Amino acid sequence: MAASRSRTGDMPKKIGSSAIMWLLAALYGFPLLWFVVSSFKPGGELFSYPLTFWPKNPTLKGYTDAWTSFDFPGYLINTMIVAIAATLLTIMVSAACGYALAKYGNWWLKIFAGCILATTMLPTETILAPLFLVVRNLGLYNSLSGVVIPAVITATGTFMFRQFFVTVPNDLLEAARIDGSSELSTFFRIMLPLSRPIVLTLAIFSFQWRWNEYLWPLIILNEPSQFTLQIGIAGIVGANNVNWSILISASVLSMVPLVAIYLVFQKYVMNADINAGLKD
Amino acid sequence: MGISASARKGWLAASVVGALVLGACSSGSGSGDGDPKGITFWFSTSAQDKGYTELAKEFEAKEGIKVEIVNVPYDGYQDKLSQAAQANALPDTASVPSLDPLWVNQVQDLASIANNEANKINKNLITADGDKVLSIPSDITAAGLYINKSLFDKAGVSFPTDPAQTWTWTDFLAATTKVREATNAKYDLVYDNSAARIRGWIYTHGGTGFQLGADGRFAAPDAATVQALSEFSKINDDKVMPKSVWTSGQDPNALFKSGQVVAYYSGVWQVADFADSITDFEWASVPSPAQPTHATDINLGGKMVAFNNGEKAEPAKKWLDFIFQPANYTKLAQTNGYLPIETGLTLTYPFEKKAAQDAFALYIKEIELADPISSSGQANQTKLLLAKQKVEDALIKTEMAKFINGEQDVQKTVDAIVSGLNDQIK
Amino acid sequence: MVDSANRATPRWWPRRRHNSYTVAPLILISVNLLLFLTFFVWPAIIGLAYSFTSYTGVGDAPWVGLENYRELIGDTDFYAALLRTLIYTACVVPLMFVMSLGIAYLLVSPYAKGKPIARVIFFLPWLISPIIAGVIWRWLFGENFGLVNFVITELGGDPVSWQSNGDLSLMIVVIVATWAGTAFNMLLFIAALKNVPVSYYEAADLDGANAWQKFRNITLPAIAPTSFIVVLLSTLHAMKEYTYFVAVNDGGPGTENNLIVQYIYETGFKRTQMGYASAASFVLLLILVIVAVLQLIASRRKGS
Repeated sequence: MAASRSRTGDMPKKIGSSAIMWLLAALYGFPLLWFVVSSFKPGGELFSYPLTFWPKNPTLKGYTDAWTSFDFPGYLINTMIVAIAATLLTIMVSAACGYALAKYGNWWLKIFAGCILATTMLPTETILAPLFLVVRNLGLYNSLSGVVIPAVITATGTFMFRQFFVTVPNDLLEAARIDGSSELSTFFRIMLPLSRPIVLTLAIFSFQWRWNEYLWPLIILNEPSQFTLQIGIAGIVGANNVNWSILISASVLSMVPLVAIYLVFQKYVMNADINAGLKD
Repeated sequence: MGISASARKGWLAASVVGALVLGACSSGSGSGDGDPKGITFWFSTSAQDKGYTELAKEFEAKEGIKVEIVNVPYDGYQDKLSQAAQANALPDTASVPSLDPLWVNQVQDLASIANNEANKINKNLITADGDKVLSIPSDITAAGLYINKSLFDKAGVSFPTDPAQTWTWTDFLAATTKVREATNAKYDLVYDNSAARIRGWIYTHGGTGFQLGADGRFAAPDAATVQALSEFSKINDDKVMPKSVWTSGQDPNALFKSGQVVAYYSGVWQVADFADSITDFEWASVPSPAQPTHATDINLGGKMVAFNNGEKAEPAKKWLDFIFQPANYTKLAQTNGYLPIETGLTLTYPFEKKAAQDAFALYIKEIELADPISSSGQANQTKLLLAKQKVEDALIKTEMAKFINGEQDVQKTVDAIVSGLNDQIK
Repeated sequence: MVDSANRATPRWWPRRRHNSYTVAPLILISVNLLLFLTFFVWPAIIGLAYSFTSYTGVGDAPWVGLENYRELIGDTDFYAALLRTLIYTACVVPLMFVMSLGIAYLLVSPYAKGKPIARVIFFLPWLISPIIAGVIWRWLFGENFGLVNFVITELGGDPVSWQSNGDLSLMIVVIVATWAGTAFNMLLFIAALKNVPVSYYEAADLDGANAWQKFRNITLPAIAPTSFIVVLLSTLHAMKEYTYFVAVNDGGPGTENNLIVQYIYETGFKRTQMGYASAASFVLLLILVIVAVLQLIASRRKGS
């Protein structure tokens, strides 16, 4: 009885939710569709008028040219190294700091929270030249670690963890203390595993940030063997000309690994119901 | 707690991997200098990759010196050079968009290459401090006019082909309006949003534009310049020209490619792109209008420099010397589609399209006929450089955008440009 | 500083016991602290020093004291840019909030069908570089040959000046920024929504609560800490927006839509006035601190 009632009651909800979601998806997806479809257009069709949506003479030339216009696989590997290293470090550092900000009441932690937030408040260009001097003085110029290390501190990541740990009940922490668990071991043993959805979400963010970063790696890296993907893609944009058909195809290619990472990580976020019971 | 125990192991593994990856990063930096006998060459724009790569191969075969060709993206190239100068990490040779007072004292004297009679290098365009030659341009660029030939043909309107018998802007705009109306096209003209291209407009209208005075500062421009800028703003009326290019960053190249715009004022670098990616209509390069001055804006594609990098200095200079030997330079110019800096070469550009071949022939004639003022923008930059000044002229675009958008009148625009340029001079 | 949510949660243990935990939090923040001092404070001090000079990026930097700040305070263009920035922020933050929360809610709800594909569609815009986003959106909303104007004229209407009308072009950037930024906030919300105990909803179901009541009374309070951080970060980000304005309309028409950061670039860095640009950046920092403190106060008042 109960089951059948709920099923019939669900139908309008299902239709309504699906309709709204797909309407929004169409709105968000339409510009994307043009982007992806255009990557198969030859250069002569991209800006022709009257406007055409589908390519008249679909071609893979943009893709083959993009693949050969620079060392795509090599740059991809460099980007991977940067993104993986930065992501692992970012997660560990942000989780530790966010946890401290959420669960300890020391006055200087509140000030430090403000300091972390302040890192988002200066325009990149202002900090760029002085930051370069610092990185050079530390001997990190012309190395991938010079790209990775300054990127590890992030206000977004720190506050994601802080806001998450704020919602974790304090009795959990107190119980661990009564059990004689040390503070750091409580963090690593209990708290960090609890925050898995945040860990995975921040991993997606960090990957995207490092993946699309351009100006800083360009300035720091001198050897083409260390260049990242965005440097290669930006090389397609000339002083006076942009070869749009190659640029669009290269952009599509560079997005594929990110989508794959997103899908895998998102799946785990979506399945992360294990800690729900802890809340009440 | 089973979950957390395994999670903890995961974290331990993650940190180990992280440390390893970082270790790999830093060890990678050690191999920075590479081949002790090799030198580096930085340039920008991937379309020019081929010419340099091929020459580098021949150079290595001949001299045994490997040249590493590095394509540095244009966006951020200047930043990268100035930061590299601060880190003592400048390349051995480079083709740069402009010389920077920050590192110009570190370049070698290229006089022996520039003055070598066999090379026949156009000496008006080299950058020299007294007898010391700081850089030699890789190529010349010039601003110029393109038309949609299909539209002209369809409307039965004729256009000049010989720069010696060119038209006036009035004739030209009358012709384009006629074409636009006859063919139902949308606009007469699109005009690159650029401080260099607007110089072409000013010069061809008989103005001298923004020039340095005897005191080393920019002087107020003549009346013809002010008049020309007013005219320019007036034709941004969404009929003759779409307003969006100069006020809202619309891409004029894309607009022209739509086939709905009768003409496009840009420069020689478009030829290769048009040859490749205009397939829906015929295009042609036509002489720049003269009202009354026959002029263009002559600029330099890239400036070749060799840096004083210790023992790399000598091979670096050898490489530049090699590039500018006429036989090698001919190959480079042909492959990369350069207007040559050396005279007396016979060049055959590898374009299949006749329009592209004609365009290059036309540009070469236009440069020969152009009034000397055409290269004054370049000359001013050199003067400022030698006075250790760094002046960016992008503000001309901003001030013109304000003018065309009705935020200020022409006098205020001109005053703002002059004071904006002079504020940068110490 | 950002302490709103902490207040809302009752303190479980007495305050005096905090003092016994100094070493542990210090270790936990140590790496971030070190990075903060090295890669923010150190360069920021250099930048702050520039702001008291007439440095041009080359040669020496003559000390000019507060001259740059004085000039900035007297510059009407700066206030115009600030006003435009506030208008933009006031438009984009609420829109972004509603869209990303709404989409996150749909993506975790058990009712909507086809979520795996929709999830990718909502995520992708965030990966697209601004220069490509500029082309895409000019293709749609370009006033000369854009698709929207094409459709309008085909239907017999007059083309709309999406680019040369200052307010319309601001709205286009609001849409573009929302389109591109939704994924980021959506992911924050998804993580928060997945964290709301299912038992709360089950209890509400027994009470016969409808969907809206459940959303109002259970979901929103439960994700309040995340909502706060989304609003705060979006605001700070919007106040610094620059790339999409340049990519879509180059801050146009004219300089009407030059927001603060573009103003700093155009009048400072692009005119080699490093000193002036740095001074303007630190004024921006001050403004952002005020904005953050105001939001904090607002959220605390709401919480209590």
